Amino acid sequence: MDGADCAEDAANPHHAALAIRECDVRCTASRILSVLGMEIFMDFLSQVNSLPIYLIVAAILLFIVIMCVVFLVKSYRAGIKIGMDPKVLKRAITSSATFTVLPSVSILLGVIALSGALGVPVSWLRLSVIGALQYELNVAEIAATSVGLSGLKLSEMNATAFTTIVLVMTVGILSGVVCSIFGLRKYLSKLSVKPKSSENKGKPGFGAYATIAMFIGLCSAYIGSYIGSFTSSGNYLPLVVALISALVMGIFQYFTVKKKMAWLENFDVAVSMIFGMAAAVLIHLAV
Amino acid sequence: MNNQEKQTYFSKFNNQLHILGRITLVIATLMMLAAPFVIGILLDSTPSLSGFAKGIIKVGLIYIPVGIVEFLVYAPMLGAGGSYLSFLTGNVTNLKIPCAMNARDIAKTEVGTPENEIISTLSVATSSLVTMLVIFIGVLLLVPLSPILSNPTLTPAFDNVVPALFGALGLKYFLKSPKIAIIPLICMTLLCVLVPAAISQTSLLLIPAGGLALAIGFLLFKKGKL
Repeated sequence: MDGADCAEDAANPHHAALAIRECDVRCTASRILSVLGMEIFMDFLSQVNSLPIYLIVAAILLFIVIMCVVFLVKSYRAGIKIGMDPKVLKRAITSSATFTVLPSVSILLGVIALSGALGVPVSWLRLSVIGALQYELNVAEIAATSVGLSGLKLSEMNATAFTTIVLVMTVGILSGVVCSIFGLRKYLSKLSVKPKSSENKGKPGFGAYATIAMFIGLCSAYIGSYIGSFTSSGNYLPLVVALISALVMGIFQYFTVKKKMAWLENFDVAVSMIFGMAAAVLIHLAV
Repeated sequence: MNNQEKQTYFSKFNNQLHILGRITLVIATLMMLAAPFVIGILLDSTPSLSGFAKGIIKVGLIYIPVGIVEFLVYAPMLGAGGSYLSFLTGNVTNLKIPCAMNARDIAKTEVGTPENEIISTLSVATSSLVTMLVIFIGVLLLVPLSPILSNPTLTPAFDNVVPALFGALGLKYFLKSPKIAIIPLICMTLLCVLVPAAISQTSLLLIPAGGLALAIGFLLFKKGKL
């Protein structure tokens, strides 16, 4: 019952006392419902962080771990068989392991960033197989708006939206895997026969710029939408978060490009995001 | 082992990798596709097919071509074993390719040789295992932190994870090529300011924005101005 209904009932003296009592009951009910809403919301998070979902994810990842180990052992043995030096093979393994540690920590920060909206196990799965943080977040956002949410917002998430988002994230990135299943053998055998074309030598082709251009387009659309939501509805938080995140990225760019500290690049996106997200919390608390 | 024997042995080994790679990729894909449905059973829900259709059309328009181009460009660099593992475990551009290149430099092998393929496979397999291990350790540490991460005080942080990503990524890519960036950025900003209804359709805006940036990039490339 809203205020207008209450006022209408209160105008009739016979109904006034009853209406006030009814209003109280309904207001209390709505308070209880809002508390319940928070509980349902917390309950949803505990459901997507539940042990059975961890087990499903662990089973899939265990299969992929076994696959990697089999490929590793088979290739090592084949290397020895064709006369490669075991020292070289071991160095390739140890250098790859050390090379991977820093970027992996950055991927882990991505798991943390995603876990607030999708829970820990699904974020763990998504960032351990196919894709990368940029893909997962962009697609999760697109999928969230496609199921009627206003964005990838934890506060609006429900079970149907959640499972649909996970399905879109899984199917949307399969093109590389499908190409590998159906076309890799043919493609590689064709390449091994054909000599290198002359256009590949010297200056890079447009392919190198195509990915940059595509990402510029994506970023333009998002940044434009944050400016638009600020001017149209006064919602400044997404724009401020994007600006703070960009500012931290600017600092990273200074050190990686100008000061040649290339190793910092492993962390630029993840750390910039964490600063932007922390700013969102502080601004929300301060206002 | 002479060169002829080496080639024969390696082509037999590669055939085995192709068979194994295909079978394991099919199984892994089926497992990944089943996951949302099994999770749905646990949550007493199923994915919305209309929501899925709407989402996958937009996602597919952007990421299917990206996935195919990545496959065509990177598969020859990675070889058979490296490709099967890379395309399944992801982070191809930002991790697997530089990692395999680094290992190849250290081992001093050349593209197209059996040695190179073996080094690439070893490198990608190791890299995938290390990433999974680091994330696994991180997740073990995250589990006790879950109640903190799901605290309502932190909700604004996770509600703004997408602006945080695109602010950082935006600056990085705009600096890479300001010439490509300026027109799409102005166009999209003007569109969202003048037509606020477009804001809720950001996922649709990605397609013309990406197309515009690609067209500008292509024109500049053709004129030699990139």
